[in-house]
Amino acid sequence: MSVVAFCLLAGMLSVYVILDGYDLGASAISPLLAKTREERDAIVASIGPFWSGNEVWLVAAGGTLFALFPRAYAISFSGFYLPFIIVLWLLMVRGIALEVREHLAAPMWTDFWDVALSLSSVLLILLFGVALGNLIRGIPLSADGYFQGTFSSLLNPYSTAVGLLAVAALIQHGLAYVADNAAEKLAGRALQYIGRVWWFVLAAYLAVTALTIAERPEVVSTTWIDVGASAIGFTGLVCVGRFASSRRRTGTLGASAVFLLGLLVAASSTMYPFLIRPYHSAAGGLTISAAAPPSGTLAIALAVAISGLSVVTVYTILLRRAMSSRRTTSRAEG
Amino acid sequence: MADRLQFSFTLMFHYLFPIATMGIAPFIAWYNCRALQTGSQLCAKAARFWTKIFAVAFAIGVVTGIPMEFQFGTNWAAFSAKTGAVIGQPLMIEGVYAFFFESVFLGVLLYGRERVTPVLYAISATAVWMGSWLSGYFIVVTDAWMQHPVGYVLGRGGTIELQSLPAVLLSPFAAWQYAHVITGAIVAGGFVVAGVGAYYLLAQRDIDFGKEFLRTGVIVALLSSLLVVFPTGDRNGADVTAYQPIKLAAMEGLFTSAQGAPLAIIGMPDVAGHKLIDPIFVPDLLSYLAYGNLRSNVNGLTSYATELWPPVELTYYAYHIMAGLGTIFIGLALVAALLLPRGRLAQTPPILWALFLVMPFPFIASEAGWVVAEVGRQPWIVYGLMKTQAGVSPNVVTGETVFTLIGFVGMYAVLGLLFAMLILREIGIGPALEDAIAMPARAVER
Repeated sequence: MSVVAFCLLAGMLSVYVILDGYDLGASAISPLLAKTREERDAIVASIGPFWSGNEVWLVAAGGTLFALFPRAYAISFSGFYLPFIIVLWLLMVRGIALEVREHLAAPMWTDFWDVALSLSSVLLILLFGVALGNLIRGIPLSADGYFQGTFSSLLNPYSTAVGLLAVAALIQHGLAYVADNAAEKLAGRALQYIGRVWWFVLAAYLAVTALTIAERPEVVSTTWIDVGASAIGFTGLVCVGRFASSRRRTGTLGASAVFLLGLLVAASSTMYPFLIRPYHSAAGGLTISAAAPPSGTLAIALAVAISGLSVVTVYTILLRRAMSSRRTTSRAEG
Repeated sequence: MADRLQFSFTLMFHYLFPIATMGIAPFIAWYNCRALQTGSQLCAKAARFWTKIFAVAFAIGVVTGIPMEFQFGTNWAAFSAKTGAVIGQPLMIEGVYAFFFESVFLGVLLYGRERVTPVLYAISATAVWMGSWLSGYFIVVTDAWMQHPVGYVLGRGGTIELQSLPAVLLSPFAAWQYAHVITGAIVAGGFVVAGVGAYYLLAQRDIDFGKEFLRTGVIVALLSSLLVVFPTGDRNGADVTAYQPIKLAAMEGLFTSAQGAPLAIIGMPDVAGHKLIDPIFVPDLLSYLAYGNLRSNVNGLTSYATELWPPVELTYYAYHIMAGLGTIFIGLALVAALLLPRGRLAQTPPILWALFLVMPFPFIASEAGWVVAEVGRQPWIVYGLMKTQAGVSPNVVTGETVFTLIGFVGMYAVLGLLFAMLILREIGIGPALEDAIAMPARAVER
């Protein structure tokens, strides 16, 4: 049952990455992609209704981690004290930028908030990637299971490479979102940019795959899930390139989501059976089963979480459909 | 110490915004439903105006609320590891059930005016209201469990395990605490709506809106400021008397036990000297309020070991600020409400000024109430089960927390300034924009 809980958590975080990923990526690349202030307005307007709803997935995943794996929540959050606080500050800068940009529309400040938005988004993606890299690589832990090390020790070459892959992949994802949602001219340029970013993503993907095998040779032999998921992700990446060059906009966005999902499933399965893997299989570490509360509690928490998320999924889809159907009819009338 | 300062600073700053959203949300639902029912442009525009104010407060509430969810882990790792199986549940439920609900429907409210049917739009306004109140409920449940733990068992290795989720979620202690918190938020909402109305009348602009805000705001402020004292404050006080008698003694500044304990209206606690300086007492009243009998014995602080005392001065003053302000709110709302018939209030500038200037104080009262609840709970982090000192993160050093405290202070100073700018700007623009709001044909015909 604790494995189900782990899958639920990994699933929620994957949804978060795929959803918030497009608005993070789009806002990160917006100053380079948009040639005019109007185009930047269009990009921000396309993510405006959705970014805070997407961020709720992060909050909900945090709450779910707390309920399902309290010890892992306590150890990881206090262990990564400084990085987490910096993530919080960046989320704040980003929220302020999006909110204030909308309300105080003076050209000088619009430019300022766009740069703040872009920089905070890039740094957030990088930090999330570095965190994931460290979870795959393993973390130096003390005997009582708490993190032993400093912020700078988390910026090791492997984790930094994962961070760079995250930046490239989410910028590609954001570009695909803009291509799918913007007007013809901007969308065309976004597809063109994907053609260039794609090579970076490919190079980073191959580098991280090679580095993962070098760092943790056993991942290839122990389970087929990570290899399979990584292969599906690779197929998704190939499709992103092909769809972008044949200008299939929705297909590009979908393929990019498949790519991200493949990577995240692969990453989660390399962590198994740990939630917090000790570096180089040294002492300590927190396995999924050890981190979970007694099975009765876990069953209740899982039932509550899964039924809640099903309801959320249903009304989110219904409402988004209600919003978009009216928009298309009114456009047809006008 | 710096970690606790940082936590309480970020918490108190954050809490201002949920008070605002929980207090304003019912007005948005009310005006939207009225607009749907009557086709009134005034109500539709009022709803749009308050939605804009709500959205700014909600956004700041979200960006300052995410740290709260993370800081249980960063600052209170030992507490989270030990009690997470219990308090993780309401926090998870808050995220999954309430926060999603509120934010998704707020998206409809902000961006769906022309995209969804008027009925769905009014439903969304009601859903945002429900979501914000539901969110508050699960947060209060979490806190109430720390005040009065129920539905748990002690597990192996000293962890605290969940025994019954319904017992935690439906704890009577939580129910009364929530009722008190939410009526406090409505007091704030009512006075904000009335205060903005008073401002428009004093500034002689948007007169129709001013009168409407004044009327609805004053009525809501009067009802809620009565309810916040009785029954909710009274029941909350009864729970404190029953379960946290030391907190009660600190709140009231009662050092020595007494049969027929007096109620201190004012006075300054001298903790070392075990007495109140310059007090004004109402004899026997505390015994009556606590136990319904003028001669009942109320235990004073000196009947408990000093290490179990909360910080007396802070608890005492916070409680007296809250209770004193609550009394003033009832008086002001009552005077204003008596002037409402035949529109006399709109022609009484002194009361309009009072309503305009009182706006920040319900927020101060709510904050003071939280200080009573949380500081008064000390030295416990979970009352009777776990000391606050045992809950901190073992591997976070003071140097880190001082740094993040400085960072948060700087960040929140910017946030507070921007919030003030945005709100003042919305109030300056006002509700009466030129464009008419599309109404369902059926409602307009009426």
